[in-house]
Amino acid sequence: MNLVNIDIRLFVVVGIAAMLLLFISFLLVFIFTQRKKLQYQTSLQNLNEKQQLQLIEAAIKSEETERHRIAEALHDEVGAILASSKLHFHSIKPGSGEYNESIYNKAKELLDDGIKKVRNISHSLHSAILQEFGLNEAINHFASKIAHESLIEVTTTLDREHHYSMKNDISIYRIVQELLNNMLTHANATKIHIISEYTSQKLIVKISHNGKGLTQQRFEELRFEKNGLGLKNIQNRVIFLKGELHFSKQAAGYQVDIYIPIN
Amino acid sequence: MLSILQEILDWSEVWALFIPVSILLYIKQPAIHKPVVLYTWSALFINILTDIIWKFRMLFPVNLSSNNSLYNLHSVLTFFLFSSFFIGLNQPFLVKIKKVLPFIFIVFIFVNFGFFENFFDYWRLSSRLLSVEAILLLFYSLSYFLFKVHESVNVNIFTTDFWIATGLGLYVAVNFFIFLLYNELTIHMINFAINLWNVHNISYIVFNLFIAKGFYESGKH
Repeated sequence: MNLVNIDIRLFVVVGIAAMLLLFISFLLVFIFTQRKKLQYQTSLQNLNEKQQLQLIEAAIKSEETERHRIAEALHDEVGAILASSKLHFHSIKPGSGEYNESIYNKAKELLDDGIKKVRNISHSLHSAILQEFGLNEAINHFASKIAHESLIEVTTTLDREHHYSMKNDISIYRIVQELLNNMLTHANATKIHIISEYTSQKLIVKISHNGKGLTQQRFEELRFEKNGLGLKNIQNRVIFLKGELHFSKQAAGYQVDIYIPIN
Repeated sequence: MLSILQEILDWSEVWALFIPVSILLYIKQPAIHKPVVLYTWSALFINILTDIIWKFRMLFPVNLSSNNSLYNLHSVLTFFLFSSFFIGLNQPFLVKIKKVLPFIFIVFIFVNFGFFENFFDYWRLSSRLLSVEAILLLFYSLSYFLFKVHESVNVNIFTTDFWIATGLGLYVAVNFFIFLLYNELTIHMINFAINLWNVHNISYIVFNLFIAKGFYESGKH
């Protein structure tokens, strides 16, 4: 009888201890898991905040760089031309017919040049072609312009049949502009081909070139670098448009695919 | 000294409840805590009666000198109030089971006290009722934590409901075997059973401390 009692006692004590231990272990695992999850979420939030700050910083820097570029262009190109034409006009003397005419023609030529420069600056700031004729014409115009200026071949195959006018055309145009500029300045491309295609859900723009381009991995590395303002701008615009950007190496060179959802 | 300590422990089912009750007087609780608040007040009332009957049983008429039915009543109330607390948390996890369990418990009460036991048994409390109540509440408590593991974490892990669920979980985990074997122990080892009830009382103090912490935390948010 006494042995049975001891057995029951042992059973009760072990039972209580086991239940208590099990519950405490369960509780500790729960707290540990929650702490880990919380730490992970906090680090993810910090990373997001850091990225946001970098994007804001990039946007501010980009604006400043653009202002600086315009100021430089106005000062160095337009300012010098206007100053020179002023000097030419001042040097016109009364009574020197033939001499005056050549000076006058030179001053007029300089003024025309100045007007052209101002128009170019204005065009680079806001594309009137884009507004009047749409994205396809704007891309074509820009392609022909850089092909002429840089002595490189730029060809386009743009979807004219299913073209939807989009309110974000300006952003798409700027992405293409920035990518082409990068291909000229960094990739040293001599042949560029731009393809656009509209599906019922998205616009696909493919730009391929024969230069030394970027892979997706390299792009991810570069876009967080301090000097990668152009790439940050491209990425910002793509994020703003809720689109996707994909860099790849092809057999004949490199290709950038841009996917922009319609509406 | 030991007798004073024993006396304090004997009355712990009453004074421990004054800890959450004192917080209730100062901090208004959200609607979600209503079942727990109701439990605190009703448990205080029942436990005062239970301990008075136990301590002064000689002064009462014979048919009123047993407190076992009050333990049974306390057990039924505890189950229904805490199950409604967990259901009220609206955790989308095992919802149907959690909602069906109170009905199963009602069926169990009717079957058990209709055919097998007497709710107003003079000599013993219902081990079966108390242990079933404990294991079901343990299920509610564990399901609370299992849902929380899958839920996205808030800034604060130790929420008000966390303290209440933890306190209840500890209390029922410790007492499951005590409740299950209490009747047997009172028959064969009365002294051991009395000593074991001290373990129950200590766990009840801890339970009330956790409830109090939960009530106190709700005042901060």
